[in-house]
Amino acid sequence: MAVQNVKIRLRNITKSFYAKGKNTPVLGDISLDVYENEFLVLLGPGQCGKTVILNIIAGLEEQSSGTIEFSGGRPKMGELGVVFQKYALFPWKTVMGNVEMGPQLKHVKKEVRREKAQSYIDLVGLTGFERALPKQLSGGMKQRVGIARAYSSESDIMLMDEPFGALDAQTRYSMEEEILKIWEKKKRTVIFVTNNLEEAIYLGDRIILLGDTPTVVRKEYVPDIPRPRNYTDPAFLALRNEIAENTDLVL
Amino acid sequence: MKKPVNKLKSPEQRKFERERRKNVLLSLSGLVLFFVLWEVLVDTGVISSRALCSPSELVGTLLTKLVSKNPDGATLIVNMLASLKLAVLGFLIAVAVGIPLGLFMGYFKAFDKFMTPIFEILRPIPPIAWIPIVILTLGIGLGAKIFIIFISAFCGCVINSYLGIKLTNRTYINVAKTFGASDWQIFTKVCLPSAVNMIFAGVRTALNSSWGTLVAAEMLAATSGLGYMIQMGRRLIRPDIIVLGMFTIGSIGALMGLVLGRIEKRIAPWRDR
Amino acid sequence: MKKAVKNTFYAVLPALSIVVILIGWVLLSMKEGSLIPSPAETWSRFVFVMTNPIANATLPVHILVSLRRVLIAMVLAVVVGITLGVLFGWSPVFRGLVMPAFELVRPIPPIAWLPLIIIWCGIGELAKIVIVFIGAFTGIVINTHAGMKSIDPELIKAGRSLGATKAQLLSHVAMPAAFPAILAGVKTSLSAGWMCVLAAEMIAAKQGVGFLIIKGQEIGDMALIVVCMFAIGIVSMIISVSLTKLEGVLCPWQFKT
Repeated sequence: MAVQNVKIRLRNITKSFYAKGKNTPVLGDISLDVYENEFLVLLGPGQCGKTVILNIIAGLEEQSSGTIEFSGGRPKMGELGVVFQKYALFPWKTVMGNVEMGPQLKHVKKEVRREKAQSYIDLVGLTGFERALPKQLSGGMKQRVGIARAYSSESDIMLMDEPFGALDAQTRYSMEEEILKIWEKKKRTVIFVTNNLEEAIYLGDRIILLGDTPTVVRKEYVPDIPRPRNYTDPAFLALRNEIAENTDLVL
Repeated sequence: MKKPVNKLKSPEQRKFERERRKNVLLSLSGLVLFFVLWEVLVDTGVISSRALCSPSELVGTLLTKLVSKNPDGATLIVNMLASLKLAVLGFLIAVAVGIPLGLFMGYFKAFDKFMTPIFEILRPIPPIAWIPIVILTLGIGLGAKIFIIFISAFCGCVINSYLGIKLTNRTYINVAKTFGASDWQIFTKVCLPSAVNMIFAGVRTALNSSWGTLVAAEMLAATSGLGYMIQMGRRLIRPDIIVLGMFTIGSIGALMGLVLGRIEKRIAPWRDR
Repeated sequence: MKKAVKNTFYAVLPALSIVVILIGWVLLSMKEGSLIPSPAETWSRFVFVMTNPIANATLPVHILVSLRRVLIAMVLAVVVGITLGVLFGWSPVFRGLVMPAFELVRPIPPIAWLPLIIIWCGIGELAKIVIVFIGAFTGIVINTHAGMKSIDPELIKAGRSLGATKAQLLSHVAMPAAFPAILAGVKTSLSAGWMCVLAAEMIAAKQGVGFLIIKGQEIGDMALIVVCMFAIGIVSMIISVSLTKLEGVLCPWQFKT
């Protein structure tokens, strides 16, 4: 295997929340490395603290203890691309408005940011929908906007929080294919959170299996299956069964 | 077992407790600031004592007014009871008539079609606009005032009960149908419970509106009650009486709102707030 | 076939109800010694006050006078109310400090402020504007604050992840997200303000539609009172319908296509 540069290093991260007089630990000692330009999948059951890990990396939440290091220093807010599970598009803005929002907040000139935004809209295949409002789009299209918006941060790190969790199965498959295409066109470090085993194997360079409350790292898998992967490939199925035995995921 | 003396607190808990302490402190200082500022402004004469009483004066007036009939002819308690009696009576009649009417309008299409035009004509007329016609036809007695309160509370009750039924989730009705529920059962067992929250929202606005309208009615034509009391305060230029009346009116309104909230919680505990 | 009969039945009912009201009205007015004016009388009174001044102005002028008071007060209430509501939603320190005093004063019905305001400002224009302001302002504050509180936290997160500063979060995310709620607040407040101006004019004024209706009571002119009631109702309806339309224009993302 080629030498890989560590992009993000998490060490002994814990997090707990306090409500109604009770302290609930959510993350219990998470340590992991994220390599440059890899497609890393965090796989874990429903309500485990996957999202919290992403939020901590994104800087949206602070860990209770532990350290997090980025090669080249902690990116400022807005220098990381985040894709949200429920799209989190601004409903009052058009597709274009949503995608150009990041640069707009950084006071990038209108023509420059429009051109940039257009290129990302084209990248996710929404050419022609620039002036549509989010409510006029289907779920899959909404998430394409979400992806374009995250890419417009021009960050080399993309955080995706169960981005296809709310889509129907059919759309989901095509979006999985799409996200890989985009990633191959524009290589970035992707951290992709999911609770779907097949999705994890289909997408991941590496899969980190999380489990239990508070969340800990269970095991790491490196699917040695050439892309494009196929759900019916024997190697795919073998890995699927191997991971399934290690989890209490409902499959 | 003895509790551990020095319980270890997580950083989150410490942060939470710090926030809470800060909030309590802020609220207290806000209130203190409010009253001190008020007192100082009046005492130093920045605001004339003919325009506003100071909080300390207000306490004095409250204590005297509990027993004294001056200057409007009744003690505070008597005025309070007079107003409350009117408001509660008119309000209760409106609830008793308005809710069933709204429910039936929501459930029976023909009744709905017949009643809707009447409502569309009556609804936009603010309750206080009824006062002159009521005074001319019914005089300024008890009946007139109760009627005005009734009007002010009635529309809110009807409209919300109507909407509550109309907005019943179709799925629930279909579920009930698959169990073989009769129309009446669907109405009482499905539509009614799912309309409860809407109805209470209507009752709440009705209560507010009737209490506000009552004050207006008492200011326009009455010989007792809190609205009459503050109106007299104005004529005699007694700001202390006015402010006392205002706060009494306000606190009774807030108190009734609280009681209603309690009742709602009892009747519809499933509502998540 | 049966369905067609049912549908015509439903179509006729509303018309029937109007007819019943009219007949009821006529019967009431025809009763011996009745004070209620007949529809015809009311109509002729309406035509009269539209063109002839009563108490130094025609009905439309009285209405405009009232509306002007509401409008001026509303502009003030919108500016101050939204500012305060946003501050409540945005600054915990400000909320902690000011909210308790606000909550203390809030339950007082606006009309109960009238005596104090008359002592402060006399019975001129200013008093009316202040009372309408009080009536409208609290609703706007509360709705704005509620709107700020109920913003989808995911949107705030999205804004932060795009690098929005605190000020940008407010102007680019929180304010537009709360906008529909704010507009709803303005809508209810306008109705409340309209009520307040009527009450204020009924208690002390020399012009305005509230004054006119009380004038009708003083001179025992029932037809005038009924005309005023209708006029007030129609203005209320126009206000609420036009604001609902405005809502659709100003926040098109709110409504399903």
